[in-house]
Order: sequence, then C-alpha cells, then structure tokens
Amino acid sequence: MRPSPHDALVRWLAAEREDHPQAEETAETALLELFESLPLVAPPAGFADRVLFRAGIDRRDPFASLWARLVLAAALLATSLGVLWLPATLRAARALLPTWSLSDVVQSGVRALVEGVEGLASVLQVWNLLLTIVRAVAQPLAVPQVMAILLGCLIASALAFRFLRDQISGERNWTHVDSI
Amino acid sequence: MKTDAELVASARRGSQDACRELVRRFERPVYSLVLRMVRDPAAAEDLAQEVFVKAFRRLDTYDERWKLSSWLFKIAHNTTIDHLRRGGPETVSLEAEEGDDRGGGGLGAVLADAAAEDPHVQAERRDLARSLEKAIGGLRPEYRQAVLMFYAHGASYQDICEVTGLPLGTVKTNLHRARKELAEAMTFLGWGPPGTAAG
Repeated sequence: MRPSPHDALVRWLAAEREDHPQAEETAETALLELFESLPLVAPPAGFADRVLFRAGIDRRDPFASLWARLVLAAALLATSLGVLWLPATLRAARALLPTWSLSDVVQSGVRALVEGVEGLASVLQVWNLLLTIVRAVAQPLAVPQVMAILLGCLIASALAFRFLRDQISGERNWTHVDSI
Repeated sequence: MKTDAELVASARRGSQDACRELVRRFERPVYSLVLRMVRDPAAAEDLAQEVFVKAFRRLDTYDERWKLSSWLFKIAHNTTIDHLRRGGPETVSLEAEEGDDRGGGGLGAVLADAAAEDPHVQAERRDLARSLEKAIGGLRPEYRQAVLMFYAHGASYQDICEVTGLPLGTVKTNLHRARKELAEAMTFLGWGPPGTAAG
C-alpha cells in the first residue's frame, strides 16, 4: 500500500510557513513525495501507431503476412513450372491446331507489332498538329501589345462577370426572400 | 532490452520497430508533461504526436551527450510553449474531466494502481490529486514546466536548464516561486491547516 499523500502535503505546507534554510529542504522533499500521487498518464491506445503514421514511418511491408508470402511462393512455383512445361505445351498446341504453323504465329505477331507502331505514329501526328496550333497561338502572345490587350480583355471580362453575378444575386435577394 | 542509444542508432538506420519502441518508452512522460501543460487531452495528444514526429525528423541532430528524455522534453517544451503562445485553448480544465477518462487523459488514471485501497483513502487521494492538478494549472507556463519536470519527472536543475535554455539561477528561482505559489493555491483550495482556507 502506498503512503498517504496527505502526510506529505501537511509536511510540505508546514515547512513552507517556516522561515529557516532547513525548511526549504523539507518542503522540497515533501513536495516530491506528494507528486508521487500524480503518476504518469498514458496517452490513448494506439498512440504509437498514430505517431508512426504521421511521421511517415509506418510503411507496411506488403509481404508481411503469411498469406501474402504463400500466394507469392505459389505464383513463383507456377511460373517456373510453366517455363518447364512450355516446349511440351507448344508441341501439344501445334498438334491440336495443325493448320497453324510456327511461321503463321510469328507472322501474326509481327503484323500486330507493325499495326501497333502505325497507331503510335498516327497519335504522334495528332500531337504534332496540336503542337503546331499551340505554337501558332503562342506566337502573337509574345508581342507585348497583344499580351496587354489580352490582359485588358481578361480584366474586363472578370469585372463583367462579377457585375453580372452581383446583379443576379441582388435580384434573387429581393425577389426570393419571404417578407416577414 | 536495448538501450536508448541502441534504439536511436536503429531508428536512424530506418528501423520501424526501433521507432515504435522509442515512442512506447517515452510516450507516458512526454504525454503527461504536455497534458499537464495544456490541460486539454485532445490538444495534448496532438502536441505529443508532434513532439515525436519532430524528434524522428531531427534524429540526425540528436547529440548523444544528452539524455534522450531531456532532448525529448526540450522538443516538448518548445512545442507546448509555441502552442500556448499561439493562444491555444488552455480552457479545458482537467478538473472538468471528472468521470471522463476517455483516452486516458482524465484524472481517473491517477487511481489506476489504487484499486486495493480503502475507499476513503482513495477518495482523499483523488481529491488531493485533483486539487494539485488545479493548482499546477494555475501556475505561469514557465513555472508549470519547471515544477512538472523537477517534481513529476525527476529532472535535475541542469536538465531543466538545458531544456528551457534558462540559467541555473533563474531555474532555481522559478522553482522556488512556483513552490510558494503552489502552497498558496493548495491552502486556498482548502488543504492548509484549519482556518487558513480562503473562500
């Protein structure tokens, strides 16, 4: 059982009222004892997790759980077995599909590759066209006078927009508020 | 069990477990100090988290000649003083938290290990703890900090000097005046000899 903090309190307050050097020491010791009645307070549960998360330290390992490791191991095993069985599987496939020779397969692969490259080229053409348009628009903007006019137009349109919005909201205030 | 220095070395190498262990080792002293400074459990948790986040970000600047607890207290001191200077809410009294121990911030924690005691002694201990918390809360922040570090956390005069950046004489004066003010407050709250309580 802990000693009653009341005794320490009485000694402390009594020492504070006395006026000699020894009383200082007594008061300090008694107050230290009294503070033992104020134990450290624990923060709410999960405090450490929240600190680590906030500090960006809590980056979880995606393969930390046993299941994730098992799935990864199974996937690796299946891949290695697949590599081992690939020649036999290809031979079986060729036997099942006699009309398809290996050269046909290679040919269709090359054809698909060429089509993909052509598609990419047309995308690049469109991109090139867009760049040309942007350059054509940007060229006059480099002239200070044009830029000043454009800026003036922007300010005028912003003011007009603001005025219009004030008008509309003002009108709404007058017409849509019930009279008291 | 790893020493503080070993944990700091592991944390510097990026060990998440070491960081977690450091938080667990110092969460109580840091949180208690901040809670008794700001007297608001929600703000105290936020500030205590901030203390550790700052500590992890500045771990490379930690000088191992210091005690780790003193270094953390220094960060806690700066963080809470900044919060109080910004005018953070210092209005939620711990006393008002009676019966509300959500999140471990209430005074019920004071009695955590007193379950086997006589109910009368428990009640007295609770009342006394509440009054002491109230009296501490009434001190100026610099006095409060010194009192909490010296009496509640067992810090030495030198530790307090390092944490607060104040000279030894000022720290001793602050502690002396704080003790006198605490005694007056406790007497005012009715804990003095008969006939001395005000109100």
